[in-house]
Amino acid sequence: MSVTVEYSTGELMAAVMARQLRPGEVAIMGAVSALPQAACRLAQLTTAPGLWFIAGGSGAVNPHLEPLVASSCDERLLDADAVMTLPDVILVEGRGDLIDVFFAGGLQIDIRGNCNLGPVGSWSHPTLRGPGGVGLPFVARAGRVVIYSMSHDRRTFVEHVDFVSGPGFPAGPGGLPGGGPSLMVTPLCTMDFDPGTHLARLATLHPGVTLEQVLEATGFAPILPVKLETTPAPTPEELSILRRLDSAGLLRRGASR
Amino acid sequence: MFLSSAEAIERLVPEGTGFLAVGGMHMHNNPMELVRELVRRRRGVRRLLTSPSASLAADLLIGAGLVDEVATAYIGFEHLGLAPAYRRAAESGAVTVLELCEAAIVHGLYAGAGGLPFTALPPGLELSDVSTANPEHFHTITDPFTGERVLVAAPLRPDVALIHALAADERGNVFFAGAHFTDRLMAMAAKTVIVQVERMAKAGEIAAQRADGVLPGFLVTAVVVAPRGCLPTASHRAYGYDEPALRSYLKLSRTEDGFAEYLQINGMAAAGVTA
Repeated sequence: MSVTVEYSTGELMAAVMARQLRPGEVAIMGAVSALPQAACRLAQLTTAPGLWFIAGGSGAVNPHLEPLVASSCDERLLDADAVMTLPDVILVEGRGDLIDVFFAGGLQIDIRGNCNLGPVGSWSHPTLRGPGGVGLPFVARAGRVVIYSMSHDRRTFVEHVDFVSGPGFPAGPGGLPGGGPSLMVTPLCTMDFDPGTHLARLATLHPGVTLEQVLEATGFAPILPVKLETTPAPTPEELSILRRLDSAGLLRRGASR
Repeated sequence: MFLSSAEAIERLVPEGTGFLAVGGMHMHNNPMELVRELVRRRRGVRRLLTSPSASLAADLLIGAGLVDEVATAYIGFEHLGLAPAYRRAAESGAVTVLELCEAAIVHGLYAGAGGLPFTALPPGLELSDVSTANPEHFHTITDPFTGERVLVAAPLRPDVALIHALAADERGNVFFAGAHFTDRLMAMAAKTVIVQVERMAKAGEIAAQRADGVLPGFLVTAVVVAPRGCLPTASHRAYGYDEPALRSYLKLSRTEDGFAEYLQINGMAAAGVTA
């Protein structure tokens, strides 16, 4: 008999992202990154001891997240194992052999894992001027890229982004210096990338979500796997760690499952 | 060396300043007292450079119509939302956007600080549209060592930088506390540097700081002492950001009339300013 524990979409996504990380890897994330930060700390405390993570513009290396905070430059992040200056972080991001996992996102995300945080529509007169991509061009050099979005709709998941802030797999000849996108995590599902075509492939549906719901909300047709699994729910241990870190409830805003 | 914010802007940021850089990251360490003074005086600049992630300071200057072109990698309010005035100005074409990335900003500032003619960027960065969108700022050349194609970017050498630090001594040596982002680098690249500080340093306090947390006085043109002058943004190790005040800005600034009302309420209406 299983015990039913309610959890939020944010908590489910954090648990999914945590399971992507391995001991000793180095992960990095940018603005609005409470979710991947929580995932990294959770991974350190469960399946990926010795994981390193650099929290956005703060330069904090392994922030303790007691508590988890909303802004990526909050001074409370400096309660960490170590702190780098921001120019130093941006310098070593360029090496290409240091960053194993880059957490990325976008106002638009497409079938090849391109992310757009810049202009939506025309470049010179956009219909929606996004904030800008900050360090997203660096995803091209990372070992792998985990894309996350708190919105799953046809405005966000599009066939082609209008502007490439963070490059996914190129459509034409030539490859990426890094490993490219490996997983997309949304409020409805996870998608990985087909190794042959480098196109998004539905991987798991979150508990209670139907295939029709995902296809309806996605502006491209993802490759369908032979067998569609359900995303494993967060375990009681994972939830207990996340809730200890997230005393402000940043991951619990929005719907419960 | 020590000036009021009014004197500093009046003397050091003349109308039509070509290239102004403003420090701080997200809603932290924005030199808001200096920025508010620019708005009060309606000092226009041809190009504004932000840190890799700007927030209120840039949105306010753009919303007040004081910026012809903004060179930036991000202007927004993270979890609080998009930047309303920047959105409006960029969508209407009222401001020109020179889309950069954090590498182009930081390496461009290193080039500016070190007198380098340009900077080369790591392979892979040419795959984003950032360089494609801005052919005047980025070029592709042949690496003379390897023969490979390499993306290069222009140096960033601002005429004036406005930054925030925690404290200054009598000679204008300043020190930072908490994270100081790209502010120190921005100051090293700029010709004129105005530093807004919370307070005067205590005797021996600056000497006790680590080297990378200090900016020596010969790189500082003027210091403006403005306690709590970063509000409603945070000042690391002094105070946090005022979230209700930021939300109230975001709400009002959804319309041009609301933006004008925000300026009025916060003492930045154009009328009544005397030099």
